Amino acid sequence: MYRKKRLVLPFLLPGLAGILLFYAAPFLGGIWYSLTDGSFENAFVGFQNYQNVWQNRMFQLGLKNTMELSLICAPSLFLISFLLSVALNRMRPAGSFFRNSVLLPYLMPSSAVLMIWLLWFDYGGPVNRMIVALGGERVFWLQGMELRLPVVLLFLWKNLGFCVIIFLAALQAIPDSLYEYATLEGASFGKQAFHITLPLIVPSAFLVFILSWVNAFRIFKEVYFIGGAYPDEPLYTLQNYMNNMYGKLNYQNVTTAAYSFAVIVFALFGLLFFLQNRAQRGLT
Amino acid sequence: MLKMKGFRLRLLQFLLMILTVLLLLPMIQTFLYSFSSMEEMKAFMKTRGSYDESQWMAAHLIPDMVSLGQYYQILIADNTVLRLFVNSAMYASMILAGQAVIIPAMAFALSRFRFPGRNAIFFGIILLMLLPFQVTMVPNVLTLRTLGLTDTIWAVVLPMWFAPFYIFLIRQFMVGLPNELIEAAEMDGSGTLDTYLRVILPVSRPILGAAAALSFAESWNLVEQPLTYLAARQDLQPLSTVFNQLAGENTGFEFAGAALYILPALFVYLFFQEDILSGIQLTELK
Repeated sequence: MYRKKRLVLPFLLPGLAGILLFYAAPFLGGIWYSLTDGSFENAFVGFQNYQNVWQNRMFQLGLKNTMELSLICAPSLFLISFLLSVALNRMRPAGSFFRNSVLLPYLMPSSAVLMIWLLWFDYGGPVNRMIVALGGERVFWLQGMELRLPVVLLFLWKNLGFCVIIFLAALQAIPDSLYEYATLEGASFGKQAFHITLPLIVPSAFLVFILSWVNAFRIFKEVYFIGGAYPDEPLYTLQNYMNNMYGKLNYQNVTTAAYSFAVIVFALFGLLFFLQNRAQRGLT
Repeated sequence: MLKMKGFRLRLLQFLLMILTVLLLLPMIQTFLYSFSSMEEMKAFMKTRGSYDESQWMAAHLIPDMVSLGQYYQILIADNTVLRLFVNSAMYASMILAGQAVIIPAMAFALSRFRFPGRNAIFFGIILLMLLPFQVTMVPNVLTLRTLGLTDTIWAVVLPMWFAPFYIFLIRQFMVGLPNELIEAAEMDGSGTLDTYLRVILPVSRPILGAAAALSFAESWNLVEQPLTYLAARQDLQPLSTVFNQLAGENTGFEFAGAALYILPALFVYLFFQEDILSGIQLTELK
């Protein structure tokens, strides 16, 4: 550990200056922005902008869809990657081949595979063929509410790998004897996963959970890939609203919408941190 | 490790095999399609989007006749795809070059120095990391407008140079490095910059490789930034934002474009795979 404070400056300053310039300072300045009317005099209007934005139907729709989609994406990403990692961890060393294949999509541009998705989920495509073969009815996957499934699957396809890697790193630190004992006691796979494994890797699991949410809020990407720039209403996300307002040069509304969302995001993460703290104290 | 045996292991392997095939199929399919002739692809793509109950999309996986027609089209005859590809390469290399200078240095400062405000700065970085693009785009835009950089490539590149997630990732790795490493270097009379370049960076190779690969993946799949900041500049879009359009236009060469776009990512994956695995393994991610 270095103690001479002066020496830190050349390493710290470029990054710190950039963060202050592009993130911290304008973030604070933007608060003022969201409280003024954007006219030539830029009069102070209090919470008028917030009132307008919150009452706007498209903002409500975008916020609702973004929250709903994240609520589907984040927990399923967390759960699937957890169960997959437990399974992979149990079949070492053969698991490493599967692990590497799960990681591959994380580095792939999902933009380039979206066309395959459009083919798979076409009305006459392989997914519907399979459904009909199993005795079901064809589904209109590429419009309306149903479009959410391909969007969520593309999200999972892309993001599964990184979560699995983080989980696996944590799982490898758990001694095998614990499982042997649990098996002797007759604990099932599911019981072992949720009652032995999960409590032991709370910190890593928490990180995965948080990262799942952070990524889920960026679901606009997948929506844009499959649904295009002007998606049907069930997929109109907050980002669509903000891009629209940005295009109309309505910066007041963009700022206000962003800050409203920031409050929600921080409230959510605050709650998660609080719950994690309590969970961890409960364990020790 | 407790080994599963017999039937249950087989079943698990079988399920994982199916999952693996499904995960890899998009890439395999793209490459296979890219070697079909353009006429073949056009005819095939026309069969989609039909809502006729009595009809199915043509089943097609392997090219009828292997052809380099699509590649000839995008690489030589028509430069639309190539130009956008070059844009993507430009964004990715500019973003990574800036990050390489700024981010490990900042992680070093936050992990191996004690100075007032260090914890506050690190806390701020974690907060930033949690904020989605919808929120951070506002401060970015305010500054970009003040500097007159909207509608230029810098609008996409500059904010990415300070991406908080990679600072966090590398800092968490460097915190775990043993103190003796630095002390030994100091003993030899090496200056701070020397120690950073010759000791810290080389031993941090796994996490630097991992961060570089992850950042490349992000920069290679840019969507929000170019769509928002460069909405008016079709000529500055990266290839990642136009595939949806290409598929809609049924150009016949969209899959060669996709294959071309996947290829660099594939190389990055093969080259950095081990770094990602060991980098994450060795990092204190709490």
